[in-house]
Amino acid sequence: MIYQILREAWISISAYKLRTFLTMLGIVIGVASVVLMVAAGQTVSNEITKTFDSMGTNLIILAPAETVSGGVRGGRGRPSITFKDVEALKSLKDVETTSYVVNAAVQAVYGSNNYGVSVYGTNPDYLAVGNWEIESGMAFTEKDVKAGKPYIIIGQTIVDELFGLQNPIGKVLRLKGQPFTVIGTLKAKGDNLMGQDQDNIIMMPVTTLRQRLRGSNRPQYTDIAFVKVTQEDKMESVSKRIEYLLRARHYLKEGAPNDFSIHLMTEMVEKVQNVGFILSLLLSSIASISLVVGSIGIMNMMLVSVSERTREIGTRKALGAPNRWIMFQFLMESIIISFMGSFIGMILGVILSQIAGKMLDKQVPISLWSVVISASVAIFVGVVSGIMPARKAMKLDPIEALRYQ
Amino acid sequence: MSEKPIVIEVKDLCKTYYMEGGASQVVLKHINFKIYEGEFVAIMGHSGSGKSTLMNTLGCLDRPTSGEYFLAGESVAKRTDKELAIIRGQKIGFVFQNFNLMMKRSIVDNVSMPLIYQGVSENERRERALEMLKIVGLEGYGDRPPSQISGGMQQRVAIARALINHPKIIFADEPTGNLDSITSDEIMNLFTELNKKGITIVLVTHEDDVADYAKRMIKISDGRVEYDGLRKEYHA
Ligand SMILES: Nc1ncnc2c1ncn2[C@@H]1O[C@H](COP(=O)(O)OP(=O)(O)OP(=O)(O)O)[C@@H](O)[C@H]1O
Ligand SMILES: [Mg+2]
Repeated sequence: MIYQILREAWISISAYKLRTFLTMLGIVIGVASVVLMVAAGQTVSNEITKTFDSMGTNLIILAPAETVSGGVRGGRGRPSITFKDVEALKSLKDVETTSYVVNAAVQAVYGSNNYGVSVYGTNPDYLAVGNWEIESGMAFTEKDVKAGKPYIIIGQTIVDELFGLQNPIGKVLRLKGQPFTVIGTLKAKGDNLMGQDQDNIIMMPVTTLRQRLRGSNRPQYTDIAFVKVTQEDKMESVSKRIEYLLRARHYLKEGAPNDFSIHLMTEMVEKVQNVGFILSLLLSSIASISLVVGSIGIMNMMLVSVSERTREIGTRKALGAPNRWIMFQFLMESIIISFMGSFIGMILGVILSQIAGKMLDKQVPISLWSVVISASVAIFVGVVSGIMPARKAMKLDPIEALRYQ
Repeated sequence: MSEKPIVIEVKDLCKTYYMEGGASQVVLKHINFKIYEGEFVAIMGHSGSGKSTLMNTLGCLDRPTSGEYFLAGESVAKRTDKELAIIRGQKIGFVFQNFNLMMKRSIVDNVSMPLIYQGVSENERRERALEMLKIVGLEGYGDRPPSQISGGMQQRVAIARALINHPKIIFADEPTGNLDSITSDEIMNLFTELNKKGITIVLVTHEDDVADYAKRMIKISDGRVEYDGLRKEYHA
């Protein structure tokens, strides 16, 4: 019987091809945009994860405490973490290594080329902490840090911008008029989430940066420090130990606030991914408005169809069609329309998201979600927008319906 | 005549329409008659006399307000909608004034449509539809849509559709109302032929020429039976 209902429904809607097509289009657009939005949300979320992975997730970041005045958070506070602090943290349990970064933004000059670059004064451990790899040449050593050697490692952007096709190893470039020898290059990381070029970077011994680029104001302090933890599940315990040790080293009395702040990368990942999830939820709920519109379109078409086919319904009933049969036929018609619309919309959404991904040079996932969404839309929208017209058809009195002109 | 089984028996049949706002109209008043198998009956009467109302009640499209109605020995006056649909599908054939064919479907689909609701398979439906088309003289037209044939032929399609479930009785409300006189005669000849094969036919008409094809005539006047007897013995 289901097959017969399906067949009658199919023949009926294929008799009105243009109308059926236009109605279906509403659902196609609705589902396609939801699928597209979900794909967009997932892509953002994946990019976030990728960015964090490129930094390493079992990382604890230490910075000076934020200034608080009258309950309002201010900017970064007075430097409070010394290089000796960072060295001391190395001996804590479950700590793999530690590092620090002192920043300077300068113009890099080589021959007639120059380029604005972010310079990191750090120690050799920063490579491991920041998940950086050497592409060619080598890194500077702890000895170079002690001696304040003018050795630098440069990112791929600097390689491209200043050296082009030349091999940069052994070349000397100038920062603030001072010469620095390139001893290594870094493997490319690409843009981060905010679209910042992570490869526009020069690393050098922190001592060198202090002496030659930043002046010697408060030379024992770092801007920021990193602690790499051996395992992700040790993050909490290590952060407790860091707090304990730093408070002791800074002679903080009980009750006094920390003069430093501790940020767990795992927590930050979670926070940002929550934002990503909310973003994709928001995007898809906006897109689902078009689904509602599409669904109203089906209902409208089915209502028109029922009143146009009043005499057909009357005839069918007079010739023995039970009321429920009539209802199911009309319900089936709207389900078929929404089913086909959802299916086409899903395919279209996936194709469009892949094309967009190619154009933006981003990996767009094809997720199970698009199938789940389309299938549930197919049934839900079909039933919801079909039930009212179908009941109307069911309730028609055959005598009235046959008299209808 | 009385040896033949009774197909229809109505006793004290009344029908009152109740309208919104409390008004009511008594349309059928204590109707009594029997129709035997193989009869050919014309129901006549002035416009508004209640012919269609009577046909709809006999055709199980509507229930009487009071009185008894037996169709092939079964009481059907107080059945549910669902039961009435089954009775219509199994025991009754309808022919309408305006044919009521589905213009976008093939003639075979139209003719076989009642069988869908009887759960008959597609192949058997087609076979039986082609057989019925042969009976009404439309062999070879099965796969065309009804829009390609004349009005008289369309009514033949409708008659084939009415015959397909081998009904106990065929009801035709003004079957020639939309046809010219020549085509009307053709359709009436077809009815006569079918009647000779033993099919019971009740038709409503207000044309005397059409009524002349029937043996028996029931005249309704203001909701009552005014005449019930042989057509040729009726003198207006
Ligand atoms: N659903 C209804 N509600 C109220 N009154 C009705 C309804 N159907 C019919 N009537 C009334 O019942 C009376 C009989 O109508 P019916 O259609 O049976 O007449 P008829 O003999 O078939 O007339 P005609 O020759 O014009 O077809 C009419 O006065 C009509 O207005
Ligand atoms: Mg009438």
